[in-house]
Amino acid sequence: MGTRHHFVSLSLRLSAPWTLLFGPSGSGKSTILRGFAGLETHTLIGFGRRRPDGGWEELAEMPEWRPPHLRQLGWAPQQATLFPHLTVRENIAFPVDARRPRGAADHIAEITELFRLGPLLDRRPAQLSGGEAQRVNLARAFAVPDCRLMLLDEPFSGTDRALRDELLPAMQHWLAARRIPVLSVSHDVEEALQLGAEVVLLRAGRAVAQGPAAVMLADERARMLRTLS
Amino acid sequence: MDTAAITLTLRLAALTTAILLLVATPVAYWISLGSGPLRRIVQALVALPLVLPPTVLGLYLLVGLGPLTGLGRALIAVLGHPLAFTFSGLVLGSLVFSLPFAVQPLVAGFGGVDRNLIDTARVLGASPWGVFRRVALPLAKSAFLTSAVLTFTHTVGEFGVVLMVGGDIPGVTRTLSIALYDQVQEMNYAGANRTALWLVALSFVALLVLYSRAAPKLWETSGKARRLV
Repeated sequence: MGTRHHFVSLSLRLSAPWTLLFGPSGSGKSTILRGFAGLETHTLIGFGRRRPDGGWEELAEMPEWRPPHLRQLGWAPQQATLFPHLTVRENIAFPVDARRPRGAADHIAEITELFRLGPLLDRRPAQLSGGEAQRVNLARAFAVPDCRLMLLDEPFSGTDRALRDELLPAMQHWLAARRIPVLSVSHDVEEALQLGAEVVLLRAGRAVAQGPAAVMLADERARMLRTLS
Repeated sequence: MDTAAITLTLRLAALTTAILLLVATPVAYWISLGSGPLRRIVQALVALPLVLPPTVLGLYLLVGLGPLTGLGRALIAVLGHPLAFTFSGLVLGSLVFSLPFAVQPLVAGFGGVDRNLIDTARVLGASPWGVFRRVALPLAKSAFLTSAVLTFTHTVGEFGVVLMVGGDIPGVTRTLSIALYDQVQEMNYAGANRTALWLVALSFVALLVLYSRAAPKLWETSGKARRLV
């Protein structure tokens, strides 16, 4: 996989419900997410997911390039890019309005509840705090109908720890109930351990190791604990 | 008072503005979406009337629409008469001459829309038409006022192309600027003064509307358009 700025060679098997790309900045994490989303035009990525019977379901054919709007992806970029001319309600409904599935109203009410956005629905993005904007950003990604893969880039940047600790299990539960796999990007060890995610360690655009968070990040965790003690 | 010239000028300017907004919107959006050589060539062609003497454009239109060219002969066959020295010919000349005044503010308006918002809309399921309608168009809407006012005022004030293509036929092609020229030739300075005042008033009111409604966006217009306002 290559772009004008990054050359990334990667082969991933996303077998866990939540896979986390972990690496220093500049290691190509965001580029990989953009590649999945179809925003890097020089990139060819194929992906599939595990069926309940154990087989693999192709989600986009290789090497055919599929335009981003046909990929059915949840997408929460690192900077909460909310549409400034729309209210919070309209922002969350944006992916739903694009496809107009049945039961859209219930779907949106459920997500509003999940991210506790009820009181903010009629506000504009300019009237939100950083943490609130980030929650709307996540809620909008969750609103994508028939989502096949959730792509989250630093999903909790700007939200306070207490809220993150409350939101994470609720989000995991919601996604697991719908069998939506997640590929997220983070450099927060605590978040990775809390998620119990499958961690892919990236160095300079290459996946150098893959495994459960507790194993992969043991060194990082020990280093952090040493710093604290 | 030459009311025929006033109504003719207003009709010409309104028709040119309406048609040009329809033509310029897709052209400007396409130019703003990328940076390939073809887009740069089209952008340069569109801007050409800004720097060419109006007489050059007038000459090409006069010859191109006349019986000397295939296009001219086809038009004569369809319409039953040449386009030169008719109101339709005048409209066509105005469309070409005012094209950059319609396109350039829109290119700046669309170009000013955050690329991340466009990308986010695409991944969240918006088709290319959906991205245009739901994100690009509402976020660039103030550029449409700039475009409309500049096109209207520029058409009201054009002289060279009008004289070359339309001649000076009262009630058909004699616009205010031509009438003013005639009055000065006849040394009718009182009449010329009244006509000039009409032109000043029309342009001033249009620019006043622009400054009152879209002042911040004026910095986004470029080239000669920026110098004019």
